[in-house]
Amino acid sequence: MINRKIPRGLRDLLPNEVLIQREIEKKAAKLFSGYGYEEVITPTFEFLEVVETGAGRNIREELFLFTDREGGILSLRPEMTVAIARLAATHLQDAVYPQRFYYIANVFRHVQPHLAQYREFWQMGIELLGAGSAVADAEVISIAVKVLQNIGLDNFKISLNQIGIFNSLLDDSGMSFEQRDLIRRLVENKDLVELARVLDTLAIDDLLKETIAKLPILHGGLEVLKRMPYVEKNRHASEAVAELLKVYEALQPCGVTKHIVVDMGVLRGLDYYTGIVFEGYSPDLGYGLLGGGRYDNLMGLFGLPRPATGFALGMDRLALLLENQTAPLRYIIGGADWSAMIAKADELRSQGKIVEMDVEGSSKEELERKLQGRENCSLIFV
Amino acid sequence: MQAEYLTIALSKGTLLKPTVKMFNNVDLPTKGLDEDSRSMVFTYDDPPIKYIMCRPTDVPIYVEQGAADLGIVGKDVIMEQARDVFEMVDLKYGYCRFVVAVPAELGNIGIKDLNYKRVATKFPMVAEGFFRSHGLQVEVIKLHGNIELAPLMGLADIIVDIVSTGRTLKENNLVELLRIMDSTTRLICNRVSYRTKYEQIQPLIETMQNYTTGGNGDGNKAV
Repeated sequence: MINRKIPRGLRDLLPNEVLIQREIEKKAAKLFSGYGYEEVITPTFEFLEVVETGAGRNIREELFLFTDREGGILSLRPEMTVAIARLAATHLQDAVYPQRFYYIANVFRHVQPHLAQYREFWQMGIELLGAGSAVADAEVISIAVKVLQNIGLDNFKISLNQIGIFNSLLDDSGMSFEQRDLIRRLVENKDLVELARVLDTLAIDDLLKETIAKLPILHGGLEVLKRMPYVEKNRHASEAVAELLKVYEALQPCGVTKHIVVDMGVLRGLDYYTGIVFEGYSPDLGYGLLGGGRYDNLMGLFGLPRPATGFALGMDRLALLLENQTAPLRYIIGGADWSAMIAKADELRSQGKIVEMDVEGSSKEELERKLQGRENCSLIFV
Repeated sequence: MQAEYLTIALSKGTLLKPTVKMFNNVDLPTKGLDEDSRSMVFTYDDPPIKYIMCRPTDVPIYVEQGAADLGIVGKDVIMEQARDVFEMVDLKYGYCRFVVAVPAELGNIGIKDLNYKRVATKFPMVAEGFFRSHGLQVEVIKLHGNIELAPLMGLADIIVDIVSTGRTLKENNLVELLRIMDSTTRLICNRVSYRTKYEQIQPLIETMQNYTTGGNGDGNKAV
């Protein structure tokens, strides 16, 4: 028996699926280039140390690991931001910053596969390296909105947060590392029941407790920033709120604010984020479409301290929203005279048409029968 | 523009009655809502709400996949399935607890004596997770019902099951050895719906929180 299985969580993409994906790539790449972002390509696998340096914690369970012949441990890349930070720190030590890069890449995570969550999936994204201002964040976020619009979506929201608000509140609580990690997970997963239970067991300031308990449900316009009573008591948290306001202000002239909401529950799973974080959602899909934020410490871990910000979009998920692209018109040329067929085909191809030749010497009737039910085909018999 | 329906997946069976009672108290429509009815979808226009009637174990997947925005389901089911959903309100009714039970004749044994025992359960994830967190290895035998039968017939040494009064255990000559955790009914929410239908969902959550905590306005406070 011939083995035709493929590993769990992977998939083949058939022509109609590739068509959608390439269409997304084309539109996004055009938009990114228009903002001065240039494409880079990094290796499909990296040393585990590189991947782990970026992640800042143990993510081995999510990685596809293997060893090279010298005994080094390699990891298929789980995302692209770390690789681009490494690339810049290696090759662009003396470059003038900011630098703008975009990428299209397949990434690999050992997750529980389901619809819109594969073990090999495709990401496109941008990284704006060496720019620490609120305006830089606004540029990246406005590109995130525009890329979704250009692809043809209109009904979507970008949820915005500043991770410093959450981190400063937790700094004041004196929690252990494990407790912080637990609280973060509960806030992110909006597990209000367990969050209330855990907070109840902690000996921390009541106002602080109340504020943390509310974070998962603080979602909406800028007014939600006024609903965190404890923030005024904490200088760092207040600064983070002020920065969020600055980014929002900078987004206004970009004409994208109707898609922006503030959401204190957006914390992003990755540890490298330091400031603004955001995620994109559409009501038509139960999963996030894109995510990103500011990561000012990551490049420093590779020896080139620079602030940076960026985002990645999940192309497999976008593709689910864009099904039913019509295939472009194609001509089918049949006939008995091969030279005449070639001449006709070349003529049409020189006009940019898609032309398929009958290579089986079929009669006109046979071809007509074959083409029954095939969409957008036009038969030319010479 | 037509108002968007809020879809709520309901657990059929014992949870349905208290759920309908709770809906009445928070002013959600319940007219004609009945699991014996032949329809499985109940639609109301003011406010625009749809209920879908599901087996309890199916509720989390309906919500995770976005086929329903909200769901009413027991914590026991949520624990076992570990789906990617938001758990918003402890509705307090439908109390039961996960326990480890052993045949009465085993008498005074402790948790350390359970290493490498065979455990019959409807909840393999919960059972496995519990024993592993105590550094024990067990052989989990997944059954679909009548768990109490397994030790009687020698299929398993012990069981992990949910009990509310403990009567069934007693009738089958089993005793509760350890309590793993308590479970009550929860309101769960789809990750994306929460954000895209925030204006409809958030007030509902607050009303339910107020209702379950007796209206003291601090719904997030744990018991």
